[in-house]
Amino acid sequence: MAWWEDTIREIAEYRIYSSTDAVLRALELFPQVFKRAYNLRESLETLAELVNKLVEVRPTSVMLNNMMRRLLRAVEKHIKAGRSASEIADALELEIKSLRRELESAVNIAATLGARRVRNGDTLMTCSYSKTIMALFHRLREEGKRVRVYVTESRPGSEGVEMAKEISSMGFEVELIVDSAVRFFMKDVDLVVVGAEAIAANGAVVNKVGTSMIALAAHEARVRTFVIATTHKFSHETIFGELVRLPIIRGVKLLPGLEREADLSAESPLFDVTPPEYIDAIITERGVVAPEAVILLVRELYGWPPETMDVISAAHRLLEVVESGAAS
Amino acid sequence: MEPPAEVVKIAEYIREMKIRGAGRIARAAAHALKLAAIAYKGHDLGEYLEYMERVAQLLKSTRPTAVSLPNAVNYVMMRVKSARTLRDAIATAVRAADEFTSLSLKAVETIGRIGAGLLEDGDVVLTHCNSSAALSVIKTAFKEGKKLRVYATETRPRFQGLISYRELTQAGIPTTLIPDSAVRFFMKEVDKVIVGADAVAANGAVVNKVGTSMIALAAHEARVRFYVAAETYKFSPATVLGELVTIEERDPKEVVPPNVLASSPRLRVRNPAFDVTPPEYIDAIITERGVIPPKAAILVLKEEYGRMLEEELMRITLDIEDSIYPAQIP
Repeated sequence: MAWWEDTIREIAEYRIYSSTDAVLRALELFPQVFKRAYNLRESLETLAELVNKLVEVRPTSVMLNNMMRRLLRAVEKHIKAGRSASEIADALELEIKSLRRELESAVNIAATLGARRVRNGDTLMTCSYSKTIMALFHRLREEGKRVRVYVTESRPGSEGVEMAKEISSMGFEVELIVDSAVRFFMKDVDLVVVGAEAIAANGAVVNKVGTSMIALAAHEARVRTFVIATTHKFSHETIFGELVRLPIIRGVKLLPGLEREADLSAESPLFDVTPPEYIDAIITERGVVAPEAVILLVRELYGWPPETMDVISAAHRLLEVVESGAAS
Repeated sequence: MEPPAEVVKIAEYIREMKIRGAGRIARAAAHALKLAAIAYKGHDLGEYLEYMERVAQLLKSTRPTAVSLPNAVNYVMMRVKSARTLRDAIATAVRAADEFTSLSLKAVETIGRIGAGLLEDGDVVLTHCNSSAALSVIKTAFKEGKKLRVYATETRPRFQGLISYRELTQAGIPTTLIPDSAVRFFMKEVDKVIVGADAVAANGAVVNKVGTSMIALAAHEARVRFYVAAETYKFSPATVLGELVTIEERDPKEVVPPNVLASSPRLRVRNPAFDVTPPEYIDAIITERGVIPPKAAILVLKEEYGRMLEEELMRITLDIEDSIYPAQIP
């Protein structure tokens, strides 16, 4: 579909640095699907295509999967209630508004709890670009805590440079370092804080590649590592044995400074997995917990066993819902 | 007499990293001393020695971390200083510089031969930065018919990994470039890590390109063997006497373009060029005299620099005795 190409490309090429922002941008395509189609059938066909596409370009984003599941469930409810495509579009817009509010509030609660673990004068280390980590620094500024922070440039992609600039513009003392210098500076660090792309059932955290190196170096130096992430990042599917797929990029397109060396055989994962034993706590909007205990929060929130959904087949099934509705 | 232009140029090239790598800068420094000796136009031995000493200091000041640099300079200067006539002193400088260069090149070759024994057919090897000694090991093993695959880290900020990549690819070894942040991700596939060294301290700690200690830590965690290939002139005698190896911090502009710094006045860039890998993460150091456990570094130091160390210790001892028993000295 031509009209969503630009957004899909931005998400696929990781030009939207924050995973939460990427999810919100993706969700905004959903009501569009219903607005642009001639009828419900056609919109559901397009919807299935969109879901397919999103899963394809951002397979690690558990939050995207979780949010799509909620939207698809809403669509199903409205179809069963006999609503038209344009009515569904309006309902989805409302739903997305409330999801956005829920996410923003969750991010801020998690950041507020996280800020309590930071002492005035601490030296922090972080990597990549995370909306949740940015929220933490906003909170620290509000509380008047003065901290110094090391930010790794976070190759491939180098979005750490952007985050370093933003944190420094908030008035914090920021030191940008190359990814290899993490262990060199770890002795100066009091606390490592990172965001997450996904949290697995065992408490392992999927985040920008390099995170597990930082956590390892912190562990070696007895520096605490906190992951700040809302429960929306928890992968329900991993409870049932699914692995989080880690996309590997080949070539140099995400390696600034090497773009012209097109003949190079280069490889990089975008994410890596930090084992729970290197994480001191995951700070969520529902409290600070050991990584292995996030699953308890999930049980509280969603019941047990929590519902999973293969969003691609769920989207296709919606067509059957329409047909069975038409038949009856 | 001022150091000749050509010598000043070599010093500048070393400082700006146009000549880089601990072995190469050592050889370049020896060569510069040779050029300086030949260019000397005076007629006085004392004046010549002072002049050579100035050249020596200039060369030593270019990079603070690489021990190979002062070791190369001292190798030549110690011999020059024992000459009795000006003619002899000039000839000695030339001879000693050539001798150092050929020893150094031979050492890289010998390390390749010895180290190749540590690699096995089918190994996946990871290397960092661009070390002639480390690559010599990999290339020699490959020439012996062992099938190898290599991961080369890109090595920010200056991408020396790219040079290793090209060198290995040219030798026919399948090589993949990876970002430094992905080392732990790939470590599970790796059988052995081989890196070079800029300095080896008395306790066996290895100073090398920043990131080396992270790689060693990740290798240790994954029970992957970690080898350092280092010529004996990279061992630091000064550390035996308690000195620390200085870690050079370089220009922020190597990391980000100047406009980033200009637009973010509160943003600072820290750019250490080296880090220190503790001996407990190193399985062995491969030298041209053999493979040694890192903590036996003192053996190499005593053997290579024993006389110099004894003299230094004697000087310190006399100083202390002077200060304790000043009255007893007639």
